[in-house]
Amino acid sequence: MATLGKKLFILSVRMGRGLWHRGIVSSSNPVQSAVEPLEKLQESSSDAITEQMAKSLKYPDFFKVAELFTVEDLFNARVHLGHREGSLNDHMSQFIFGSRLSHLIFDLDQTATLLREALNFTAHIAFRGGIILFVGRIPQHQVMIENTAKECGEYAHTRYWQGGVLTNSTIQFGSVIRLPDLIIFLHTMNNVIYEHTAIRDAAKMLIPTVGIVDTNCNPNLITYPVPGNDDSAASISLFCNLFKAAILRGKEKRKELLGVH
Amino acid sequence: MKAYQEKAQALDALMFEKTTEYEIGRRHLANMMGEDPETFTDEDIDTAIEYLFPSGLFEPRARPLMKHPTEVFARKKVAEFDETGRPFHVLFYTGLPNYYQVLHDLSEKVRELDSFSDRMMQYNIHKDPERTLNVGGTEWVKKEQLEDILLEKLKDKQYEFFVRSMNRLLDHPFSYRVEEFIMKFRKHVQISVIHKEIPKLMFTAEGTPYMAAVGRRKTSTASVTVYGRGSGKISINGEDLLYFKYIQDREQVLFPLQFSGLLGKVDVVADVDGGGFSGQSGAIRYAISMAVRSFVDEQMMEKMRLAGLLTRDPRRHERKKPGWKGARAKYTWKKR
Repeated sequence: MATLGKKLFILSVRMGRGLWHRGIVSSSNPVQSAVEPLEKLQESSSDAITEQMAKSLKYPDFFKVAELFTVEDLFNARVHLGHREGSLNDHMSQFIFGSRLSHLIFDLDQTATLLREALNFTAHIAFRGGIILFVGRIPQHQVMIENTAKECGEYAHTRYWQGGVLTNSTIQFGSVIRLPDLIIFLHTMNNVIYEHTAIRDAAKMLIPTVGIVDTNCNPNLITYPVPGNDDSAASISLFCNLFKAAILRGKEKRKELLGVH
Repeated sequence: MKAYQEKAQALDALMFEKTTEYEIGRRHLANMMGEDPETFTDEDIDTAIEYLFPSGLFEPRARPLMKHPTEVFARKKVAEFDETGRPFHVLFYTGLPNYYQVLHDLSEKVRELDSFSDRMMQYNIHKDPERTLNVGGTEWVKKEQLEDILLEKLKDKQYEFFVRSMNRLLDHPFSYRVEEFIMKFRKHVQISVIHKEIPKLMFTAEGTPYMAAVGRRKTSTASVTVYGRGSGKISINGEDLLYFKYIQDREQVLFPLQFSGLLGKVDVVADVDGGGFSGQSGAIRYAISMAVRSFVDEQMMEKMRLAGLLTRDPRRHERKKPGWKGARAKYTWKKR
């Protein structure tokens, strides 16, 4: 069982990195009309598991994360509301639909596409037993984010970021630890001006990231940016629920197809 | 990672071994003392060791002792992640999972209480005066104690933030609903004031109540007897109050009686020796105050304490130092 765990661990890291290098998973493969039901494993042999994992990558939306939300849901949760024109980060202008009375509005079609890709990636990571870390530094949403992490069996870090958490982990934690395989940023900013240190550190440690980027944020180092509002409780709540649902779907399939816990 | 796991397992094995040794030792001691091994408590163990292994060493920590392994070996955190490397605690990556878990629970409790108070507002109940949380005689655990509870090293700022947040929870009008959570982090304060027992009044052969006391000031000693049902007569070394030439000394003698309202109601007989007039009058005053305690109720006694009547003045004559003019005064300092 230990060797199996080790193999899955190595596989997940490789898969994670492979997916990250390849960029967006879904677009390179042909669309399948119906998802073929995969047989349940009779014995959990490592070859069968590798086969299952390879198969799961052949579908553009293996976990059907597209069903989890609609553009209307995004609108109702006020995801389209950005900040004022003056604080716009130039890299975000591609995601802006326009502005109304100098308040910027996101293009929810783009948001929806990118969100689906992010959810799909998250579900794949969860399918392979990866460690997912939720990060967000706004006090109003701290409790919500920590609860979301608890409910899907993953991890959260909404507190003061000690410098060596990713880059100096052995000394920081006192022993060799396994780093997160995916970091989800509900807030990319530390406070009004500065970006969260974890974005740069995750890029240094080759950890893929998913991030909700608002109009004043820089999406450059984030692997799967999701342009949207990160200031309303409603929008953060929606994003938390979506990521949680994607992770739980990934884990469900993991239990079903790979037969692992 | 594997080494970490092995260390945790080794610690568990060690604790188990030491605990069994301790239990065997306890049973041996019980048999030696002739007591029942089942009901032999930790205090019984301490007394048994003191009896069986008497030590002439002054330092208590150097004497033989047998404590439960959990008290001897500092508690450490158990393994924090499983064999696949996944941590057990949600907040593992913060570095202080237990501390931040407490803060998380705190936030949740504040929200709970806020929503409860919102519901109570419908019935126009703002605060139930009968059901307020009583934290009298307790205080927040100190930083070291919190570190022991959480098994994590904290910074001062983090401890201060914890105390501020807990105070916020405590100040909520409905905090009694989360009493258990709050009491986990409050400890009882030792009562520092030791209530001395006030001696009861004694009675002469005729039946008059009296109280005797001894007072000292500088190098004077006064032994005073205060008789109840009197008329205000004062006798010092056989003489009148005029024993003291100066008005200040006479006032010092009369002050405790005047303050407690017993000026014309009690008789005072004082014997004083040593020192000068100031010391003698101070000694008599202190002795009278101590004797008057038995005649007077607790409230008046507290007032006397606040007035400084019940404090033994510890000041003594300070010696002159060589090279100085007096005890503190120096000779004139010359620049050149």
